[in-house]
Amino acid sequence: MDSTLVDFVKALRTAEIKVSPAETLDAMECLDLVGFTDREFLKNSLALVLSKTPEEKEAFHSCFDRFFSFESFKQIGQDGEYTHDPEGGEFESDGDQADGEGSQPGAGNGQGSGGGAESSGEEDSNEPLDTTLDPESPLGKLLLSGSRTELVVSMAEAGRAVEVNQIVVFTQKGLYTRKIMDAMGLKGLQDEIGTLQANERDGESPMPQNHLARRLTKARDHLREQVRDYVEKQFFLHADESGKQLREELLKKVKLSNLEKRNFKDVQEIVFKMAKKLVAIHSKRRKTYKRGQLDVRKTLRHNMQYDGMLFDLHWKASKVDRPKVMCICDVSGSVSNYSRFLLMFLYSLADVIPKVRSFAFSSDLGEVTALFQNSKVEEAMSRTMRDYGNGSTDYGRMFMDFKNHCMDDVDNKTTIIILGDARNNFGDAKAEILREMYEKSKRVIWLNPEPKTSWTVGDAEMGKYAPACHQAEVCNSLTHLERVVSNLLKTAT
Amino acid sequence: MALKNADRLSSVEAIKENFESHNYICNTQIATAVFLAYHLEKPILIEGPPGVGKTELAKTCAELLDLECVRLQCYEGLDESKAIYEWKYGKQLLYTQVLKETLGEILEGATGLHESVVKLHEFGDVFFSEDFLEPRPLLKALHHDEGCILLIDEVDKSDHEFESLLLEMLSDFQLSIPEIGTVKANPNKKPLVFLTSNNTREISDALKRRCLHLYIPFPDAALERQIVQARVPEIAEHLRNQLVTFIQELRTMDLKKVPAISETIDWARTLILLHTESLDAELVKQTLNVILKFQEDIETAEADVQNLTNKALKQA
Repeated sequence: MDSTLVDFVKALRTAEIKVSPAETLDAMECLDLVGFTDREFLKNSLALVLSKTPEEKEAFHSCFDRFFSFESFKQIGQDGEYTHDPEGGEFESDGDQADGEGSQPGAGNGQGSGGGAESSGEEDSNEPLDTTLDPESPLGKLLLSGSRTELVVSMAEAGRAVEVNQIVVFTQKGLYTRKIMDAMGLKGLQDEIGTLQANERDGESPMPQNHLARRLTKARDHLREQVRDYVEKQFFLHADESGKQLREELLKKVKLSNLEKRNFKDVQEIVFKMAKKLVAIHSKRRKTYKRGQLDVRKTLRHNMQYDGMLFDLHWKASKVDRPKVMCICDVSGSVSNYSRFLLMFLYSLADVIPKVRSFAFSSDLGEVTALFQNSKVEEAMSRTMRDYGNGSTDYGRMFMDFKNHCMDDVDNKTTIIILGDARNNFGDAKAEILREMYEKSKRVIWLNPEPKTSWTVGDAEMGKYAPACHQAEVCNSLTHLERVVSNLLKTAT
Repeated sequence: MALKNADRLSSVEAIKENFESHNYICNTQIATAVFLAYHLEKPILIEGPPGVGKTELAKTCAELLDLECVRLQCYEGLDESKAIYEWKYGKQLLYTQVLKETLGEILEGATGLHESVVKLHEFGDVFFSEDFLEPRPLLKALHHDEGCILLIDEVDKSDHEFESLLLEMLSDFQLSIPEIGTVKANPNKKPLVFLTSNNTREISDALKRRCLHLYIPFPDAALERQIVQARVPEIAEHLRNQLVTFIQELRTMDLKKVPAISETIDWARTLILLHTESLDAELVKQTLNVILKFQEDIETAEADVQNLTNKALKQA
């Protein structure tokens, strides 16, 4: 059972539930206590031990249901398509005995076999049975004995033997179906069917044999379906999410301006994830105040070395370092996508940088802080675009506006991020204002989505702006964005 | 582990019933959590919106087991000197002053510096011993010989550093004090630990890993009716139904802070005080401030009161 639990934990991990080895051990201890008799009880207990947020709990419950769902195995022969049409095309499904069709005895004259109590009812023959033939191969026996549980167990065992939980991409489904069938003893069954049919072809087989051959073929096909379903389920359990992870990795590296609208939702999710990680890393930064309540213990300890004279004082209160960020975004057509994600990033970080002020411009500068704080990113973005997105870019004008309205708020703790391509349409660059910002603020970071080679080509003014920045960087993918924001948090004091 | 009255926690059903007899109505998840926490000797981290009975669970558990409930209320800036222990500095200073005089007597007969020091050493570390230790909640909980319920309330309000301080306590039921050594809980009477969090910030993985995680959501109508009945037994049945339906509807609205169970109970008490027979829009408007705690929420809700009241009356 332990290995089942480990498999289950693996499935949970692919469903993005973080389970540590220690928690796995806890779960085992919990299993010993709870046992397997009460499914609901077990589920509740494991949920308490393994899933640690409300979202994880939800994922856990659906994962548990999927992982431990064996009831769905359909009883052989019970489903409709079989019983209706024994002469149907299912017979020729496999090449190696397609010739079996030559001599179809038809259902009517087949001797009804009452081999398994469960299968007899469904068989279409109502005639009395005089001979009962039992299949020889182990798999055949299993199939016709009609024991669902055994079949499921055997399938699960075969699945484990061929390591179906290693499945990665959907193209492997066929392969694993085949492998499981083989592991369950398909070959023996195949041989038996082959022999029976050969006899039939030669015309020397008695009716019960023909009938048995047909029943076995049906059962086999049915089994194949079941196995395929099983593999499908395993795929969803084990591989579906790793595909998603792959996609996320790709999206992180793709140029933001090339993103298609349908990917926005994914990207947004990634941004939130990245932001969460950054929050976790950086929320611990704090330094002690130089006032407030005296930390007696610390003070005494530290002053032992001065002969107990209270000389080097220590205080209790500490404060969290939080950077003050002003973010100026170009929202003209070419750059708007980058601005969107930068703003999304910054506002997802509200926990660690609560003081973000954001401005948008293409020519006139406008403050959009309130807009982003009060409404969803999508909506705020589209409203920003509507209000500020038109007109040709004019960086000079933007700097003038900034100087007139916001320069007083810039102090030596402020970090200013400017996102734009610095294409000024040959207007006045007003780099001297940026210089002033540079001197007043703690840091000026310029993020430019264009590659460095085109920074001074044409109407681009990076040549003038870059010297007045503490940092000027290319930034055109989520990975870049993450790096910039992380640096921002790291050096914030 | 064998705490007093532990048979009251022998199975999930038993826990449910016993809690009910102490007027705490719980669902299977909650009962399972308590069951596992006791038998696996693990702390429970309880999360959920404010007012769903997180703290109450710990208190009821203490009542049920007839153990003391040691409570540590977390807040920003809480540190080890408030949570674990503190030296009695005043006493230490006073004693040094007093003992200065007796020092001569102690050292009598000793010749030379070396001998004096040896003599002094015989007395050991008098000033950093248990006598000068002021135990705080966590240490107190470990010292309880009978075992106890330790409630660490609103752990999300404390700082990150404090979480790390808790880890040793939560995983091994012990605390290290540098001057004395490690203090361990009585292995047979470990405290049963409850941590509550309102999710104002993410609790670290290290802490979560050591705990069972229980999420208590708002109850459904049936459970809430039961709770109101248990807590405010004097309320008439039809009024109770109306009230619960109204609150349940209110929770589906877009509000800054939706009413929790504690508000439902307060409201039920208010209505009884006002000798209410049945809900009506006017009355609801006047008492809306019992269940809604923001002016803008009250304004939002007021527009819908008539509608909601009618619905509640119809369904009840």
